[in-house]
Amino acid sequence: MKVTYGWLKEFVDIKMPPKELADKLTMAGLEVVSLEEAGEPACRTGRDFVLEIEITSNRPDWLSISGVAREISAITGAKLKTAQRPKIKTTSLKSVEISVVDKNDCPFYSAMIIRDIKVAPSPEWLKKRLESLGCRSVNNIVDITNYILFESGQPLHAFDLDKLSQQGICVRRARPNEKITTIDGQQKILNNEIMVIADRDRPVAIAGVMGGKETEVTDSTSGILLESAVFNPIVVRKGRQKLGLQSESSYRFERGVDSENAKNATFSAMKLIAELALGKPCAYKSVGSIKPNKSAISLEMRYITRVLGINIPLPKVKQILSRLGFIVKTRGKNILLVNLPSFRQDIKTQIDLVEEVARIYGYDKIPLSLPAVKPHKITSGSREIVSGIKAILRSLGLQEAITYSLVDRNLLVKSGINKDAQPVEILNPLSKEQEVLRFSLLPSLIRALAYNLDQQQEYVNIFEVANIFTAKSASAEEELSLGIALCGAKSFFMKQGLVKDEVTILHLKGILEKLFNKLGIKAYDFIPRPDNQINIIIGQQETGFMLGLNEQVLNSFDIKNKQVILAELNINKLLEYVNLDKKFTGIPKYPAITRDISFVINETVSVKDLLALITASGAPLLSLAKVVDYYQGKQIPPGFRGLTISCIYRASDRTLTEEEIAPLHNSICSLLEERFGIKLR
Amino acid sequence: MDINLVQAQVENDLAATSSISELESVRVKYLGRKGVLAELTGLIGTLAPEERGVFGKQVNAVKSKLLDLINEKEKTLKTKGDSVNRSTLDIGLPGIAQEPGNSHPIIQVIDEICGIFNRMGFSIVEGPEIETEYNNFTGLNIPLDHPSRDAFDTFYLKNYSKLLLRSHTSPVQVRAMKTHKPPLAIVVPGRVYRPDAVDASHLFMFHQIEGFLVDENISFADLKGTLGFFVKSVFGEDIKMRFRPHFFPFTEPSAEVDISCIICKGKGCSVCGRKGWLEILGSGMIHPNVFRQVGYPAGKYTGFAFGMGVERIAMLKYGINDIRLFFENDLRFLKQF
Repeated sequence: MKVTYGWLKEFVDIKMPPKELADKLTMAGLEVVSLEEAGEPACRTGRDFVLEIEITSNRPDWLSISGVAREISAITGAKLKTAQRPKIKTTSLKSVEISVVDKNDCPFYSAMIIRDIKVAPSPEWLKKRLESLGCRSVNNIVDITNYILFESGQPLHAFDLDKLSQQGICVRRARPNEKITTIDGQQKILNNEIMVIADRDRPVAIAGVMGGKETEVTDSTSGILLESAVFNPIVVRKGRQKLGLQSESSYRFERGVDSENAKNATFSAMKLIAELALGKPCAYKSVGSIKPNKSAISLEMRYITRVLGINIPLPKVKQILSRLGFIVKTRGKNILLVNLPSFRQDIKTQIDLVEEVARIYGYDKIPLSLPAVKPHKITSGSREIVSGIKAILRSLGLQEAITYSLVDRNLLVKSGINKDAQPVEILNPLSKEQEVLRFSLLPSLIRALAYNLDQQQEYVNIFEVANIFTAKSASAEEELSLGIALCGAKSFFMKQGLVKDEVTILHLKGILEKLFNKLGIKAYDFIPRPDNQINIIIGQQETGFMLGLNEQVLNSFDIKNKQVILAELNINKLLEYVNLDKKFTGIPKYPAITRDISFVINETVSVKDLLALITASGAPLLSLAKVVDYYQGKQIPPGFRGLTISCIYRASDRTLTEEEIAPLHNSICSLLEERFGIKLR
Repeated sequence: MDINLVQAQVENDLAATSSISELESVRVKYLGRKGVLAELTGLIGTLAPEERGVFGKQVNAVKSKLLDLINEKEKTLKTKGDSVNRSTLDIGLPGIAQEPGNSHPIIQVIDEICGIFNRMGFSIVEGPEIETEYNNFTGLNIPLDHPSRDAFDTFYLKNYSKLLLRSHTSPVQVRAMKTHKPPLAIVVPGRVYRPDAVDASHLFMFHQIEGFLVDENISFADLKGTLGFFVKSVFGEDIKMRFRPHFFPFTEPSAEVDISCIICKGKGCSVCGRKGWLEILGSGMIHPNVFRQVGYPAGKYTGFAFGMGVERIAMLKYGINDIRLFFENDLRFLKQF
């Protein structure tokens, strides 16, 4: 909201320059977001300044020059110049027909009929005032209603009396499909949720929001009906949201106007109309009562100290509240009884008064102290382990990414991941990119990966830990997930020079094995599925999967000549098997004997089965069997694989001899020949 | 192989050897089980009996000569040191190591901030991103049909009535207080969502950190002290801080916290809009209505709460000028942190 320095000065003695005033207002909760000299630089006469203030939604009483002036008086101690209220005898005036259908929609409505007016352009001073606040001058009548709105905060509306079908009005809800053309020229179709001002035949204004074109004041207007009312904030808000309208009036009604002010505003306007447009009041009527103030709030000094952590003397508290317009009485040594003025509907309990005191006393005068924090057991449990998981992945060279949880539905479809899952849909997305919540991290990671390939990255290795969401009939489910995406060739130096290592699914398997080992997860397995996906099983439970993207999906992401390897794991399932309890195993006292078996084997035989057989038949002397080399290509017939497996034999109580293990080792070799048809090399 | 050439060849090989492991291959090549000397020894059986003696002696002589040569080479290699062999290695060549990954900069800032509060005794708690209308609004004293809700524009879920994507991390206050009695000292990091048009400083998804402390006598002075410690920990001892009255439905009194602009040191620049101050936090004393909503006895507890946008702090801290960079995941960006 904009106010001018000059206009404020009419209401309060300001003895400080605009900049200092702006700072003081900001530090009292009326944040001044800009301070500029008023008017076009060329036509500046007397210097004035425009302050733009961000008014918080709880303070409708600040939405006026007089409200801000009152605040300045409280902050600076300067005297408030209360303007003399114009007095007009209404008893001698005729009545106006007003019917208010629902008092809850409109607790107060007043109408004054003014005749013999001369509509003309406003005088320069009035034009300038309005223009400095960014309000266009229309004619003297409309300008006067706006002037009163800015000065007092009460929106007024003037109807052209001769264009109303009767000399009275009705405040009611719109009937279905009733229409109105508002003063901005838009036709609006109304319904029962929208409150209107109507004459006998039709709506003539959307109550509290905007007047109708047909009854607006024009140059030929000679009589007006001047409305000043209090409308239900919620009804105004809902109505204007429905119609997509917003105005200075609705802005104030939504936040709540001061009912006492609503009554006075008519008379202030009348006074100006008489001066500037020669009008005479002919009839006046108000219906509804002005809400009586709530009972007084008692404010204990002890409470102020408890909440703020500082002692503010009672006289100071009393002074602050009085300057803000509260009526304050002392009740005993440490208690104040505070009566609320009609414009402070935001004050409900003691705590609201504490804020008022603190605000004006100055937040900066409250000291700094450090609270004694008592330790307690509440924790989110998994957060630390999840941090650990991330640290392990980073140590394996993976880069952490964060992608949007909201995605375009098409992104999920084209990635082909979890085809059967149903995404959770968003009711009110602003764009297609916010259509659904993703049920997998991988589509977003593929997109991030493709983006990086586009930026000439040779190697992309990223992971993300975030929630994924699935639509289930009972609820929308949310689960923590880990996604990994790898692509391209990693270049690194070895002693021989630069080496390039193209990622394969075995790289991903290696990462996961290292992760599981570090987390103490032992019971895991990788089980291929017919569709080329590899299930990750932990403790009999399917916990995630790995896959390489097929050509079709790669094409849809514009990835050329590269393999993309992905994995996604359910973190909660993983956490069930995490075991970070460590137990020491004695370091072997006796040396081991290592014997390698090099052989050729049909490539369809799984190395996992081979190792299982060796391990089972080598017990107890065989302590470990592991693959130390594999090879396909020259020297190996097609369809076969060359393998070298190291068998490590060890006894815990003695040094083994060659002779002791030879029969065992030979029997393992023959068993492999027999069961798997290996050919020793 | 001609036995007379063996020695010359070994000498050649040894000259080209610069490390113990290479020396080992030379040893195996000549003296191993299938090595050159084993081969020569094997030839003995194929010779006429009268030639065997002479050849055998020759083989033995070569063998002991080789052993000498190899041992001597080993000695020189060991004293010279493998790693700083100047004749073959240039220390100007690139070092060899596996490249470790980084945390995302947003996660780094979250971890740093949560770590500071953790050291002050706050626990770190997380909450769900799909929330109820109650936890996101009503429980926090935000009326559903009031302009104060405009600041919390929210994504609602289709097909699930009254469920939404949390528009702030404050619902975790309601969750924690409903299930736990004070004293409570908690920080809550997490993703939040608002239907905002995307530009260099706005996104529909971002991160917040919420914090709150509830006990029998927590005051605004405690809030100032706690946030003062936090701000100095993140931005340095010289930073200035001010508390500016503001309005939040769930706190009373409420304050926005500004720090002196870290770019211009308070003189006024484009980053701070020439104000000299940067707004970084919202805070205040928890509204008694919130305590009432969670079922705490009236008047028993006081507490403070605060919330901050992580992206904003990260942007200030790292000098990043476009919020979208955080979620593009360009490796050239991510690897800088």
